[in-house]
Amino acid sequence: MILGVETSCDETAAALITPEGEVLANVVSSQADLHARYGGVVPEVASRRHLELVLPVIRDALDSASATLDDVELVGVTTGPGLIGALLVGLAAAKAIAWSRRIPLAAVDHLRGHVASLFLEPDAVEPPFLCLLASGGHTLLLDVRDRGGRPRVLGSTLDDAAGEAFDKGARLLGLGYPGGAAIDRIAREGDPSAYDFPVARVPGFDFSFSGVKTALLYTVRGLAPDELERRRADLAASYQRAIVRALVERTQAAAAEIGTERIAVVGGVAANTELRATLPGAALAPLPLCTDNAAMIASAARFADPISYPGYLGLDAYASLA
Amino acid sequence: MLILAFDTATETATSALVDGAEVLAERVSRAVTLMEDVDALLRQAGARSRDVEALAVGVGPGSFTGVRIGLATARALAFALDVPAAGVSTLAALAAGAPGALPVVDARRREVFVLENGEPRACAPVDVRVSGGMMCVGNGAVRYRSVLEAAGAEVPPDADERHLPRARFHALLAHDFGSAEAVEPLYLRLPDADRTAAG
Ligand SMILES: [Zn+2]
Repeated sequence: MILGVETSCDETAAALITPEGEVLANVVSSQADLHARYGGVVPEVASRRHLELVLPVIRDALDSASATLDDVELVGVTTGPGLIGALLVGLAAAKAIAWSRRIPLAAVDHLRGHVASLFLEPDAVEPPFLCLLASGGHTLLLDVRDRGGRPRVLGSTLDDAAGEAFDKGARLLGLGYPGGAAIDRIAREGDPSAYDFPVARVPGFDFSFSGVKTALLYTVRGLAPDELERRRADLAASYQRAIVRALVERTQAAAAEIGTERIAVVGGVAANTELRATLPGAALAPLPLCTDNAAMIASAARFADPISYPGYLGLDAYASLA
Repeated sequence: MLILAFDTATETATSALVDGAEVLAERVSRAVTLMEDVDALLRQAGARSRDVEALAVGVGPGSFTGVRIGLATARALAFALDVPAAGVSTLAALAAGAPGALPVVDARRREVFVLENGEPRACAPVDVRVSGGMMCVGNGAVRYRSVLEAAGAEVPPDADERHLPRARFHALLAHDFGSAEAVEPLYLRLPDADRTAAG
């Protein structure tokens, strides 16, 4: 079986999958509560927590799959992009485990990991398809032609990621962290057409969310506290509609451009109720596989070129997109 | 007992394979290539990974990321090889390599970590208590040589190996071997976000 390890941001995760892509264990220890008081992820706080959690989640994954390290034939680990200090914790653990058994290791790109969440059984999605990857760290439109190759990037965000825009909006509205879930929840009670927040029109298939965030900021500033309290759900619903509309418009246009009707959505924002409702035909991974997890990393490792011992011993992590 | 020892708390990572009083092999490189060193140490000594009986790991203080690479490696190795581990202070290893000297580790942000009366602490280089002729060793001593020498300390040449927390001393100092996950990093400083929050 394949052991996946993921520590790129604020989830410490380990998973075991079969060589056929069935998930045997998918353990995610979220640090969201830890970072809530800062209103965002603090790299040093995250890295400290990863060190505390990385071995417990690996042992947990093995236990829940009733497996031992002797059953592991390949280790897949995220080497980037992400918080460098956080990535290095998972990479150090993965290297040591692979070395101790002389088994190969696959260096997995986190973004390709998200795409690979769609290749897990029992509902594997067969390429080609247009993939929207929307999370707290990234917003990308990818032309996915096959399982192992590097997908072509058709568009990306020029400023904030979609998930980041939700977080910042939630903060302006006095809602909790992470912001996506908080806005999604309260928006159900609001009128999405109450406010007309503009979505920046940028050329090509790129995204820009700074304008809609600024529009929300000025609207909130113009409201008295009691009025803000009363209109909070309307503001959240309208703000969410603007972001979702931008995502959906660009996604559909990109799909038309590459001549496919098959659309898939991955990343934490794929959990958003309105996005799911607006793209009814899209392939969506189950919710636990949308947010950061290690099953997707193991899945990507399945289609990656594994590095055999001792080639991976000096492997380094990288912070930003190569 | 065959002990695999390493310290990645400073920019020069050290490692050693020690059997009782005998140092079988020693390496010096960087934290990200620690596992290459571990592999080379065992091959050099003609040992297999299964022959390792215990781990001795530097817990800092030093670079937070470096300390974590060492501890994550130690915890994963201890789990995979089913061996116990012991943590050793990076300052204590430096002191053991230079008897009578004051260990000084670069703490960044214009501070150093020092061992004073057996207790590690962080302070500004000018606040390091040195008496005339006292020797200072470690990457902090090298970096703040002028400050320390002005205060009357003696700092060996930059290339002197006493500036390195050599892993043979970790193996020597290690005791109370137990679960590697109980071996804690020695940060000595809160994350910046908490320092700001605490005012
Ligand atoms: Zn992600």
